[in-house]
Amino acid sequence: MSHRISDLSSFNAAHAAGLRKLMPGVPRIAIGMGTCGMGNGAEAVYHAFADHIHNLGLGFHLTRTGCFGFCAEEPLVNVLLPGQPLVVLRRIQASDVPALLDHLAAGRIPAELALCKIEEWDHITATIKYAAGQPEIPHWYDVPFFTGQKKIVLRNCGIISPIEIEEYIAVGGYQALYKVLIDSSPEAVIEQLKAAKLRGRGGAGYQTGLKWEMLRKAQAERKFLISNADEGDPGAYMNRNEIEGDPHSMLEGMIIAGYVTGSTEGILYVRAEYPLAVHRLQHAMDQARDYGLLGKNILGRGFNFDISLVEGAGAFVCGEETALIRSLEGRAGRPTPRPPYPAEKGLWGYPTNINNVETWYNVAPIVVKGAAWFTETGSPKSPGTKVFSLVGKVQNTGLVEMPLGTPLKTFVYDIGGGATHGKAVKAVQTGGPSGGTIPQEMFDTPVDYETLAQLGSIMGSGGMVVMDEDNCMVDVARYFVEFTHSESCGKCTPCRAGLDQALRILNRFTHGVATDGDLDTLDELSRMIRDMSLCGLGQSAPNPVLTSMRHFRREFEDHVRAHRCRAGVCEDLALSPCENSCPLHMNIPRFLQLLKEDRLEEAFLSVVLDNPLPASTGRVCQHPCDNRCRRSAIDDAVNMREVHRFIADSIYGTPRYEPLIEQVLARKLPPTGCKIAIVGAGPAGLSCAYYCALLGHDVTVYENNAEAGGMLRYALPNYRLPIEVIEHELELIRRLGVSFIFNTTVGRDISLNELDAAHDAVFLSIGTWKESWVYLAGTELRGVLHALPFLEAVNKDETTQLGRKVAVIGGGNAAIDSARTALRLGADVTIVYRRERKDMPAIREETEAAEAEGARIVFLAAPHRIVDDGSGGIQAIECVKTTLGEFDRSGRRRPVPTDEILRIACDTVILAVGETVDLDFVKASGLRLKEGGTMLEVDRHTLLTSRPNFYAGGDLITGASNVSNAMGWGKKAARTIDQALMDEFRWPRIWPEFKHSMTVPAHPSTARRHHNRELDPAKRAATFAETTFPLAPVEAMEETCRCLRCDIRADH
Amino acid sequence: MPNRISIRIDGELVQAERGQTIFEAAQSNNKFIPGLCQFKGLSTVGACRLCVVEVQGVNRLLPSCTTPAQDGMAVITKSARLNDYRRQSLELLFAEKNHVCAVCVSNNHCELQAYAQRLGVTNVRYAYRYPKLHVDMSHPRFVIDHNRCVLCTRCVRVCNEVEGAYVWGVAGRGIGSRIACEMDRAWGNSASCTNCGKCVQVCPTGALAEKGFAAEEMVKRQDLVERLATIRGTMNPGGPR
Repeated sequence: MSHRISDLSSFNAAHAAGLRKLMPGVPRIAIGMGTCGMGNGAEAVYHAFADHIHNLGLGFHLTRTGCFGFCAEEPLVNVLLPGQPLVVLRRIQASDVPALLDHLAAGRIPAELALCKIEEWDHITATIKYAAGQPEIPHWYDVPFFTGQKKIVLRNCGIISPIEIEEYIAVGGYQALYKVLIDSSPEAVIEQLKAAKLRGRGGAGYQTGLKWEMLRKAQAERKFLISNADEGDPGAYMNRNEIEGDPHSMLEGMIIAGYVTGSTEGILYVRAEYPLAVHRLQHAMDQARDYGLLGKNILGRGFNFDISLVEGAGAFVCGEETALIRSLEGRAGRPTPRPPYPAEKGLWGYPTNINNVETWYNVAPIVVKGAAWFTETGSPKSPGTKVFSLVGKVQNTGLVEMPLGTPLKTFVYDIGGGATHGKAVKAVQTGGPSGGTIPQEMFDTPVDYETLAQLGSIMGSGGMVVMDEDNCMVDVARYFVEFTHSESCGKCTPCRAGLDQALRILNRFTHGVATDGDLDTLDELSRMIRDMSLCGLGQSAPNPVLTSMRHFRREFEDHVRAHRCRAGVCEDLALSPCENSCPLHMNIPRFLQLLKEDRLEEAFLSVVLDNPLPASTGRVCQHPCDNRCRRSAIDDAVNMREVHRFIADSIYGTPRYEPLIEQVLARKLPPTGCKIAIVGAGPAGLSCAYYCALLGHDVTVYENNAEAGGMLRYALPNYRLPIEVIEHELELIRRLGVSFIFNTTVGRDISLNELDAAHDAVFLSIGTWKESWVYLAGTELRGVLHALPFLEAVNKDETTQLGRKVAVIGGGNAAIDSARTALRLGADVTIVYRRERKDMPAIREETEAAEAEGARIVFLAAPHRIVDDGSGGIQAIECVKTTLGEFDRSGRRRPVPTDEILRIACDTVILAVGETVDLDFVKASGLRLKEGGTMLEVDRHTLLTSRPNFYAGGDLITGASNVSNAMGWGKKAARTIDQALMDEFRWPRIWPEFKHSMTVPAHPSTARRHHNRELDPAKRAATFAETTFPLAPVEAMEETCRCLRCDIRADH
Repeated sequence: MPNRISIRIDGELVQAERGQTIFEAAQSNNKFIPGLCQFKGLSTVGACRLCVVEVQGVNRLLPSCTTPAQDGMAVITKSARLNDYRRQSLELLFAEKNHVCAVCVSNNHCELQAYAQRLGVTNVRYAYRYPKLHVDMSHPRFVIDHNRCVLCTRCVRVCNEVEGAYVWGVAGRGIGSRIACEMDRAWGNSASCTNCGKCVQVCPTGALAEKGFAAEEMVKRQDLVERLATIRGTMNPGGPR
């Protein structure tokens, strides 16, 4: 039977047939069977449906469709029950099918499986109305992933069947072609495209109308149209899904172009790695020929145009137009210089026009709806939409079609849903290997051709890879250069030999053997490759390097100067992920292994030489090591913090302690005669003092309190860290010969000049004891307390003004400590925090413990005023409820006040909204402050301040932080001070050689992570004694057996 | 249409013929632009990138060997940036293969060496790759030493366009690109080589040489090939691409 369409009535007949398929009178089930759906098991789902429908004798219409875009929720299944909206079901597996069919047969749609519903769909070329209903299922545009998307290119993807030409005609397909052929005014179409300012979607953004006009004007016996579907960027798959979901839209665009430009032949150049796209296109072309839409005498209008398909052999460079043409001619895919441009002399020397796949998809909508409609969307210079593949470290990955000019943060946070696993997004890479990285601070950037180019990136074909704190930007640059290096054709010198050298230099960075000179050489070389290369591949290949060096120069410098890869990606720069993330860089695998071999004493020695306060950090550390532990890919991270607490607790206060202390003292290097002053006996100062003493220096610590320990002693509540623990640890530091001068405030009792005169080096490590000022009415009232003085008073057993009903403002550790302390003093506690739970900076376990002990937490409420009781005391606190607004620079949603006021009755308010360092002593000292004036300026790598011989670390240079970070700075300062004083690197001499197994455990323990035991909450809240207990020996041992030994390298 | 056009090269107004490239216009006016892959009479490929120039009003650098001169064009052939880029290009070539002048048959008769001297290349900032490449001695009269090849493809083009024997091609890609004889067989086994030696004469370095010469002894007779190529070039302007 011939389907040939030759007049309006046969066109309408096809249209009607299509509508019957799209909205049959029986339930219609369409499985999303793009490559992404099939990868997630859509094929099995399809067969399950087919079998069950057949077996049950259900008269359902089963078909397939393309990708609806939400790849993270595949396989997607569309269900249309007569008289109901179209419902998209998500994550359907073959095993779900029987139960699902039972529901559908009964006319029900299980709402828990539904992603969204569609009551009306704008196919641009037509609108299809489904019934209303299913109130419990959200509309598709209310699902955050789809909110703000405008589907012009993807208008049919995921709705119609890509293998049914009639369905395409039913939604207005080939209408534009019909119109163009009837109107027979090619110039008008070109004018329309020019007015619409449609720009090529392959990346360069040249105006399509102008290109078509050039081809139309060219005089030749043959003219070619080529569709470039050689999509090869890592992480980009827009074109593949467009073709797989809706092949006819592209064909229609090309046929229109064929008529308008007077071309004789069309060629589809498709990657051979896209077999499904090739298959769907071939099928679509057969159908189009069958229906008289392609080939001879199209639509009976006497116009001849045919399209053939060529599979590319997989070279990335063949996406470049001149190389693509060479490849079509059967030659090696190597670009040639332009001029001559393909429009003059292209394939076989004839005029040729090449457009990207996505460009063709915009043609029919513009013809049908007009240029004015098209320019309504997008930015003035770049109208319309662009499809992006949003991938990487975001929760919602998939194909996203957004108006051009949409800010990057909309993609990352609103659509992408932000980072995964609570990590921080660091950058977005656009344009694949030809593009660049854009840092998080610049996420306000609108995504269009010009703005991205200004930032050194490109829009490219639309890849968008989100990166978080676990991505090393040096490694990302290296990866892309490795890609372009291996895809370079080798014709021109800059690209061939230049990229090879660039890769060698980048490899030196990631292996930690680069020098400062390499930074400059890489920069020069990248610029030269960019400006000198023959084709787009070479010209854009340095973009990832240049943008990373521009926006993430610190990471490059860290790799060179500190041999440090903060993200923990560059393996040669870290012992293991846990060591790399530990502020103290403890050799964690070593003490785990030593304990595993039942060598507790050596394990303690390893721990205590890495960390002078192991029992303290074993209790209060934020344990960043957990976040990177590779064991968490299997079940949970190894409980490293608790193992080193176990090791420390097993030694302190036992007879084994004394001989081990002797061993530590024996590690002390011979006296050097150098005198070092340390200001502040907090964790940073103590760590620095400890290592300086071990290195043989004469160390004096100046402290304005009466005892050592800083925040450990005065701010951390006893139930978290008992005083006896600190005393044990201080004993070791004292016995190393460190002398302490208490009750002495630097700047008041002793001047910096005096310190300078009497010492060879001074390390400043003053904590954040000064309260941040809050602008809040009523802070003068009796009963308003600040967190740190409150905690300090409780630790010193002094009386406080604590009442019965306490409101704590803040969400950090100081807030939680205050709350739990107040609970122990018998108060009723409410914590007020202005953001969400996941944004709280406090340790999660602590927050949970506070809640278990009876503290109430009110989220999304900002203090507004403290209400007085008429006699100078407090009656209540009033808070403004907040909602979550836009994402701020910290990657968290900014709290926006609402009109709603929340009143919490209380008699005490504890403010825990942040602390700063008291910097009075800095005045006229020759020490420079950082911009903002709240922190000291130091060289990041040496910790040297602007004044010679003065070093600084801890809160003083970072702002309020935590114990382990402070200790990390102290340890680092000792290393750099020693190196500066002694002019040699003596650091490794502190550690003896620990010999232990270096074999990867063949059978790591399958046990789950052990948590320490706690008293139950009710008992806990009644005591200041320690309530969490160390792991039992067998538990600690099992934890060591869970370690996968990432410190062992295959070549060892 | 007049056949003469005027362009400015480094500020000086000079005459050129319509259809000439910037490179040719500069050469006919005795203006120096370096170029390793360009060879008079052969088609242009724009591969070595040494001949890039700045053209007023154009943001990008343009290869002068493939860009047609246009009336009124203002071209800059030397600037600090161009010199730096050209030097980097040469350094990349030196680092890429094993160019050891002292033992090279073409020492003192080598275009790569001459440009390096002229452009002031005194050291190479990149790490030498020291590849171990093949030396094909199988041909009775000639030798190809891939260690000295700069991949200018003059040999490929002269063989295709002047001799018509199509012996040479480029195999591999990226940093692994190399000149290959026919379907990658030994030169001595070539079925199509006419032993004419044109490829040897056009080679800018010692990569292609006649047997029997010691260091410094190989002097190429480019003028002969140039004459042949130019005669052929006038009969078929532009040449096959």
